[in-house]
Amino acid sequence: MSTKLEKAMYNISALADLGQAITSEDAFHEKIQSVLYVITGTFLANKGAILFYDKSTQSLNTLTQKGFAQDDLDHLNPEELISLGRNKSCLIGDAPVMAVAGAEILAPIWVGDEFIGALLLGGWLTAGPLASEDLELLNVIANQIAIALNNHSLFMDLADKLEDNRRLYEEMRHIYHGTLQAFAAAIDAKDAYTKNHSHRVAKYSVAIARELGWNEHEIEGMYVAGYLHDVGKLAISNTLLNKVTPFTPEERTEIRKHSTLSRNITTKIKFPWKNVEDIVWHHHERLDGRGYPDALAEDSLSDGVRILTLADSFDAMTSQRPYREKMDVQSAIGELRKNLESQFDNKIMLVFCKVLAKEINGELPEPDILPHLDRNSDLSVISDLLEGIISELSAR
Amino acid sequence: MKSVQFSVASRLEGAAAIIYPKGYLNNLSGESLVIECGVYIGKGITKIVVNFSETDLINSIGISMLLQIMEDLRNINGTICCTNMSKFLSDTFEMLGLMQHMLVFPVENDALEYLKTRKS
Repeated sequence: MSTKLEKAMYNISALADLGQAITSEDAFHEKIQSVLYVITGTFLANKGAILFYDKSTQSLNTLTQKGFAQDDLDHLNPEELISLGRNKSCLIGDAPVMAVAGAEILAPIWVGDEFIGALLLGGWLTAGPLASEDLELLNVIANQIAIALNNHSLFMDLADKLEDNRRLYEEMRHIYHGTLQAFAAAIDAKDAYTKNHSHRVAKYSVAIARELGWNEHEIEGMYVAGYLHDVGKLAISNTLLNKVTPFTPEERTEIRKHSTLSRNITTKIKFPWKNVEDIVWHHHERLDGRGYPDALAEDSLSDGVRILTLADSFDAMTSQRPYREKMDVQSAIGELRKNLESQFDNKIMLVFCKVLAKEINGELPEPDILPHLDRNSDLSVISDLLEGIISELSAR
Repeated sequence: MKSVQFSVASRLEGAAAIIYPKGYLNNLSGESLVIECGVYIGKGITKIVVNFSETDLINSIGISMLLQIMEDLRNINGTICCTNMSKFLSDTFEMLGLMQHMLVFPVENDALEYLKTRKS
């Protein structure tokens, strides 16, 4: 076989190597490094560099190189590089701009009318001068690299946009939560005795939902429902909310409107979570069908409603009210237990007891319930009580 | 064809390092060959024998690695000897004009004998 034919076969094989390197599943840097090795191995060059033109900064970034002084590459002027050759590899000869870097061949990399980088080669080990077919081969290679760089560039643009969107989403979420908390503060401010009630109910509900194994999206929906469950109280008079003496039947009817008012307000909001409106609307329903506003049957009550019902009642019992003293924690838990199956759900109660027991035992790094309980509570007594309920409900 | 995972072994024989590449020299794993030679060069060794008895094939990436070793040795006035090459390897090196930048011997001992008699 003639040397010329052997060289042609070697070049074809190098193009195959190039295709393999470009289409490999390696990370971009490894991919581009392999590409440079293919090129320097094909042209027996001891110096090689693949540069990427950053439009935004109008500068050339070295993606990979061997043999050049990095400082020399850093000082290359992209404008002068562009003027040296367009879509065609060229011998640089005495071009002063490249003499600094010691490159002998420039293969500009273009996509359409856009200059996106350059391939530089130098330090030949070959005996003779480069033939015109070598430059043709280099053009083909430059076109292949152009595709790879362009794909990478598009991918990076997309990744940047994705990151911007993610950041924007997080900011909006942050603002949303801030608004939610301000709303809840406005609700709770109407009633001096229910300060932070919405916040605590949201936290307790989240703790139960998480223990139930809900996903983060569902948990966030539960958190929002906890914050907004009493939003309807904004439409109830302050006098009625802060009344010290027992409610008259008319007053009770009036105050019971708050859950429907909450629902009317929340339906105006297009939540990304399902059932928020349903949960706030029915958080005073009961399993025995004697709740309000709709006296719904047990089957109609979602887990979200059952969680909020228990969390709301537990916080109401352990908080001071104008018409009664607050209960201690164990009495409140006892009250929940007494009303299981009539008002509160066994499964939700079991999960609530489990998560509170875990918080007391220090098994959860960020407790949601414990920090809000009366600091004078006897945790060992509460722990024993919880263990008893857990055993009892687990056996059912 | 099932390719063997590329690996490199080496040993020191007098003032010469003998490098044993094993497998197809065709991807970034071949950098281990450059690194292995670099370790000896870093220790002041200027004579390197590359025994290709377990490397039958090489592609453009492998050639690039070999160029790097040749360049590193040239910078210190060192010598590279290649031995036990398959016909494919020797034909490829011949066609590319690499033979003029290296010393080629049929077997490792020939290279070592030559290097013993050669002043560094």
